[in-house]
Amino acid sequence: PLACHAFSSSSAMSSLLLPGAEKLAKHVSSYQHDLAPTITSNIVCSIDAKEELLDECEEIWRQMEEVCISLLSLLMMRVKALTAEYNQWQKRSPEIDHDLEMVLSTVQSKNKKLKEDMKREQQWLDEQQQLVDALDVTHEEMKNQVVQFSEKRALQELKSKMLKIRAYKEELLSALGEFLEEHFPLLEEDESAKKKKKSPAEEPTVQLVTLHEILERLINKLMSTPHEPYLTINDSFWPPYVELLLRYGIALRHPEDPNRIRLEAFHQ
Amino acid sequence: CISYKPFSLPEQLVGTDESQQQQLAEAILKEKKTFKINIHVATSLPLPAERDHIRPRIDLIAFMINMQSKHSLRNVEASLSHMDANFFLGKVCFLITGVGRMNHCSVEMNAVRKLGNLYCSPVLFCELDSEGIRVATAQRLLRMLQICAGHMPGVSALFFSSLMKSSIDE
Repeated sequence: PLACHAFSSSSAMSSLLLPGAEKLAKHVSSYQHDLAPTITSNIVCSIDAKEELLDECEEIWRQMEEVCISLLSLLMMRVKALTAEYNQWQKRSPEIDHDLEMVLSTVQSKNKKLKEDMKREQQWLDEQQQLVDALDVTHEEMKNQVVQFSEKRALQELKSKMLKIRAYKEELLSALGEFLEEHFPLLEEDESAKKKKKSPAEEPTVQLVTLHEILERLINKLMSTPHEPYLTINDSFWPPYVELLLRYGIALRHPEDPNRIRLEAFHQ
Repeated sequence: CISYKPFSLPEQLVGTDESQQQQLAEAILKEKKTFKINIHVATSLPLPAERDHIRPRIDLIAFMINMQSKHSLRNVEASLSHMDANFFLGKVCFLITGVGRMNHCSVEMNAVRKLGNLYCSPVLFCELDSEGIRVATAQRLLRMLQICAGHMPGVSALFFSSLMKSSIDE
């Protein structure tokens, strides 16, 4: 039933407190299924120790007479009740505590070990990563070098090849020139001119070109316009030379036009 | 383990705003639970003495204070003086509504907190006009009720209220 607890200030605190505490404990226990039905006065501290405090309390309570429930009293009630509960728990579960402690310690040690393992693994990983990074860097450098190197070398090779070929070409051309000059020099006009001069009414003589010149023209024509390698024979070509070239297969006649010749494609 | 007894756990809502009380009561009853609960709504205490003998044991009392109404605060203060001290060992809580509209508050936050401290009971804030918060509040009250009725092994009402109290003071 709802009732008003009036804490009157006149009675001595010790006589009020002890039974009060017991009564409270009983009330508390009736609401809590798990608590023991009676809580002995073991939970209450010795009266001697509390005498001073209780005197103070009496003074304060005197001042708050009209209030049914004061904070102080409430707090003290709560302290008592909590202490009671705590003691109950202590009694009931020392074993559980034990087990829990054991579990806690094993879990903690496992935790520690795991942390150490993890640390070691992390270190190992870091080292491996460093290694990989270093290798990557070296790899990059080497790749660059190789590329540069091979490019340079290719260029240089090409250059030297070109030089060699050019030199060879010059050699060949000069050798050819020497050979031709020695064996097929420019004809003097004397012989043919003499014959022709006997009949001045005939056409004026044309300057003849050397065999070298003819060959040069044929070569150039073939090289510069391979699709149209034919050269028209003109009067400056001494006919015997033309015949010479044709007979030895150095030059070829145009299949349809006898006045056009070309160099044989020796390079194909 | 929780015993599935067909216990009825009475809860008491005390406050001046009856419609809000009804709404909250309904929200609590709607929640899924494995036990029966009774909700008793009152505008003030003490409860009429005639029905004392048939009234079941009360496990939790929630005092509802509307921040917009000084009257609700005074009413609760008056009701508190009629209470048995034993209820303040964890079976009381203060439910503060109307916190959504702080600029219309006529009750100071300090006053409410002082009340909570004075009676060593937790103070829950809510805005019951919003359905989501109403449902959440109902769940919280239901949880508290379970603890106060002793359905949670290892957690007593007193212990729980001490926990709640210390967190509020922080």
